[in-house]
Amino acid sequence: MSRALKEKIIKNVLFLFALVSIIVLALIIIFLFMEGVPIFGVVSLKGFLFGTEWYPTYDPPEFGIWPLIVGSIVVTFFSALIAVPLGVLSAIYIAELAPPLVKEIFKPVIELLAGLPSVVLGFFGMAILAPWLQQTFDLPTGLNILNASLILALMAIPTISSIAEDALYSVPQEFKEASYALGATPFETVTKVVVPAALSGISTAVILGMARAIGETMVVLMVAGGAAAIPESIFDSVRPMPASIAAEMGEAPFRSDHYHALFATGIVLFFMTLGFNLFADYISHKFKEVGSATL
Amino acid sequence: MIRLDDIIIQAKNVNFYYGSFKALIDVTIDFEKNKVTALIGPSGCGKSTLLRLLNRMNDLIDGTRVEGEVIFEGANIYASNVDPVDVRRRIGMVFQKPNPFPKSIFNNITYGPKLSGISRKTDLEALVERSLIQASLWNEVKDILSQSAMMLSGGQQQRLCIARALAMKPDVLLMDEPTSALDPISTAKIEELIEELKKNYTIIIVTHNMQQAARVSDYTGFFYLGKLIEYNQTDRLFTTPDVKQTEDYITGRFG
Ligand SMILES: Nc1ncnc2c1ncn2[C@@H]1O[C@H](COP(=O)(O)OP(=O)(O)OP(=O)(O)O)[C@@H](O)[C@H]1O
Ligand SMILES: [Mg+2]
Repeated sequence: MSRALKEKIIKNVLFLFALVSIIVLALIIIFLFMEGVPIFGVVSLKGFLFGTEWYPTYDPPEFGIWPLIVGSIVVTFFSALIAVPLGVLSAIYIAELAPPLVKEIFKPVIELLAGLPSVVLGFFGMAILAPWLQQTFDLPTGLNILNASLILALMAIPTISSIAEDALYSVPQEFKEASYALGATPFETVTKVVVPAALSGISTAVILGMARAIGETMVVLMVAGGAAAIPESIFDSVRPMPASIAAEMGEAPFRSDHYHALFATGIVLFFMTLGFNLFADYISHKFKEVGSATL
Repeated sequence: MIRLDDIIIQAKNVNFYYGSFKALIDVTIDFEKNKVTALIGPSGCGKSTLLRLLNRMNDLIDGTRVEGEVIFEGANIYASNVDPVDVRRRIGMVFQKPNPFPKSIFNNITYGPKLSGISRKTDLEALVERSLIQASLWNEVKDILSQSAMMLSGGQQQRLCIARALAMKPDVLLMDEPTSALDPISTAKIEELIEELKKNYTIIIVTHNMQQAARVSDYTGFFYLGKLIEYNQTDRLFTTPDVKQTEDYITGRFG
């Protein structure tokens, strides 16, 4: 077999594999739309997105997912508030400032956190965090926004930290040397040279961490409390979209309105995560500083 | 040893270790003020190590160790009360590969001065102009100061790096093969620049290019396997070297 032919075969086989994953993805999306769109015969798009009543099993049923959207956004927002600073700062510390010994301990521990199954974290939230919150703040339930945000943050931190760390490592050594040679301290070098040079990667890390949090199902199912109402404080229970889908899919009759409504919720979630990813992509291009010192 | 009039920096009986590997062996060398000193020798003989020793850049590498003293203006820069940051502010460095920051030309030059406390805009602007003129880059970039330094050519980037080092108003400028990544025209420009700069600065330059050493330097030190083999006035070292090894090296018989 000639070399050119071999190359051609390899190339086509790889193309086929790539094609398969794209086709599968496309099929999933088509299916999602096919099963979700019929709900709009029952309720308008506006009524679906912004309706504040989610009573899919009542008679007559109400299909307003606004409380679920708010639930998702709120827990994601508060988990970001916790996870972004912790994740980014731990990446900076581990990649740039930690003495070797500390680094050798911290890095695997954070990676271990990434490997924890979400159900285990959810269990921790239910069994330990919830009673503690309930007692400390004298609440009717410890399964609420705060609990879910804390657990989601725990999940997002390793994602953010490890991607941000890679971004920091990829900053060329030459930049750091230049900075030190001009009389900068390690801290000045990190804040004024390394972090700005890694900004696109760090932003990507943050957004991907958040995308993970917004799509995460098990944790919010277990610890967010499940109330489909618009929350008034961080101690209220919520029912984020993934939790709603997971909890109700089993009991919704096949091809019923409820069933279609859950798929339509899936479409909304899909667009939200897609939005996050596109934004991450945009940021990473926008902030990309012009290449390294090439000749 | 040669006699020098006005010594600005000197290494005294220096041994340098990367872990257990001894990269410099009992090196004693004086550098004269406002002169250009070239360090030559085959690859791996310790030229860069010595250069980086003079502004404590080697401190940044884990597991290194220094024995002996480096006296700069009368004081040992390796004394325990000395902050390497202060040393590096007074002894600037230009690297082999041009390494401007991915920032604007203006911000590249003001990076160091800002860290050392200069913050008035007019002062910074004056400093940028002065440094770029000194590095003979001003005419080429004066209208594009806010553009990314990454857009400059390699030779321009290297002159920017020189300007950036000069903006700190250092006493000594260390250059590690500053032209090895550049084309002949850029190289000629930088050599001219060195000639010009030595009026105000002490320059120590590592080079693999024997002609360059001969052209730009007043003194030359020849290193081999971590040892300073011969140190002399450049014209003497290149015409009538005292040591056989030096002669072999400069005539191209080894290295
Ligand atoms: N970071 C390091 N860790 C361990 N050994 C090193 C390190 N840097 C240099 N060395 C070793 O120290 C010796 C001297 O290196 P140095 O870089 O000073 O040589 P040089 O004369 O500058 O060579 P070149 O002309 O190739 O740049 C070499 O044997 C090298 O392998
Ligand atoms: Mg070298």
